[in-house]
Amino acid sequence: MQHALRATLATLLLLLAPATALGQSPPDLSGFWAPDLGAPPSDEELLAELPPDTVIIHDTGVVEFGRGDFGGLQLKPEALAKAEAWKPEDEMTVARVCLAPSIVYSIQGPFPFEIHQTPELIVFRYEYFDQVRLIFMDGRDHPADDAPQSKMGHSVGRWEGDELVIDTTHILPSTITNNGLDHSAEIHMVERYRLSGDGKALSAVQWFEDPAVLDNNGARTIAWTNRPGESVYPYDCDPSFALEYADVGAAQSGN
Amino acid sequence: MRKATSALAALLLAAAGAALAHHSFAVFFDETRDVTITGTVKSFRFTNPHGVIVLDVAEPQGGAHREWRVETNAPVVLMRRGWTRDSLKSGEQVTVQGWPSRDGKPYMRLRAARDAGGKLIGQAAFSQSDD
Repeated sequence: MQHALRATLATLLLLLAPATALGQSPPDLSGFWAPDLGAPPSDEELLAELPPDTVIIHDTGVVEFGRGDFGGLQLKPEALAKAEAWKPEDEMTVARVCLAPSIVYSIQGPFPFEIHQTPELIVFRYEYFDQVRLIFMDGRDHPADDAPQSKMGHSVGRWEGDELVIDTTHILPSTITNNGLDHSAEIHMVERYRLSGDGKALSAVQWFEDPAVLDNNGARTIAWTNRPGESVYPYDCDPSFALEYADVGAAQSGN
Repeated sequence: MRKATSALAALLLAAAGAALAHHSFAVFFDETRDVTITGTVKSFRFTNPHGVIVLDVAEPQGGAHREWRVETNAPVVLMRRGWTRDSLKSGEQVTVQGWPSRDGKPYMRLRAARDAGGKLIGQAAFSQSDD
């Protein structure tokens, strides 16, 4: 009887244990992922793991905030003043129109990306601004605080059961919501990714804290669909696009 | 979780500077208004972050012409809707529908374009935030 009970318990534990804890391979996220532009996903298990004092901002994919709308993010007075002084037309210059955003904003845009996965390194190749991101899975830590920053930041990842958890720091200041709110270099981002049972859908929760700019924390839910056989296109941003806006109204004739 | 002192925070905020990518639809175009114009293609830019159709448009009254610029989605998006860099050629007549810019200039964002025969260019129209 005791043997039977122990066997049943062992079986239950095996069923409940994360795949990686049992030495099994983690999910393979490799492939081409196109953003889902419909209703925002709500992976309740991923949402339940969010830290307290976090607001979920709903500007993922097809949604953009208008001026002065930050989706519930609580801005520090300096950040709010800067956002209020921001002029959208200032972005339409040759010097600025091709400035790539940081991963904080890029991650949610309505563009596809590719995942190339190995046990030690995962590469995210985004179509948006041709951005490429390395996620180190070899157990290393982030570099020293004074190490160089970049738009993609420094990312280390780990598997928690079937979830890919990515921790990112060292991100160069850039926009959070594309309407005048910029994050600082102190922003810290954590993402959790999970593949659907059939492998055709990928969902993620992006969380960030930036005490230099925000009084609360922010998060987004994002979803993608796998499209076998496709790949990202070159972006090759051309800043001379800004001259088109500058030339508006320049030509008008009387015939 | 990383914390910064308030002094450091202020310093970092000041250092953050300007760091935006390409412009936002929501702050540039009026999603509550719709504009449709017909004109002759002067040029068609097919580069990211946005394509641009330059149109010569005859004013409804009188002989005056006005030049409009029609901003499109990013060509990487256009290509997945069946557009190519040759979808529009100089001298062709085209009718475009979309959202006008908030600043009142002859500048708009494309929802759909039709050729002189009324045929939709590409496979589907665009939404406000396909980028």
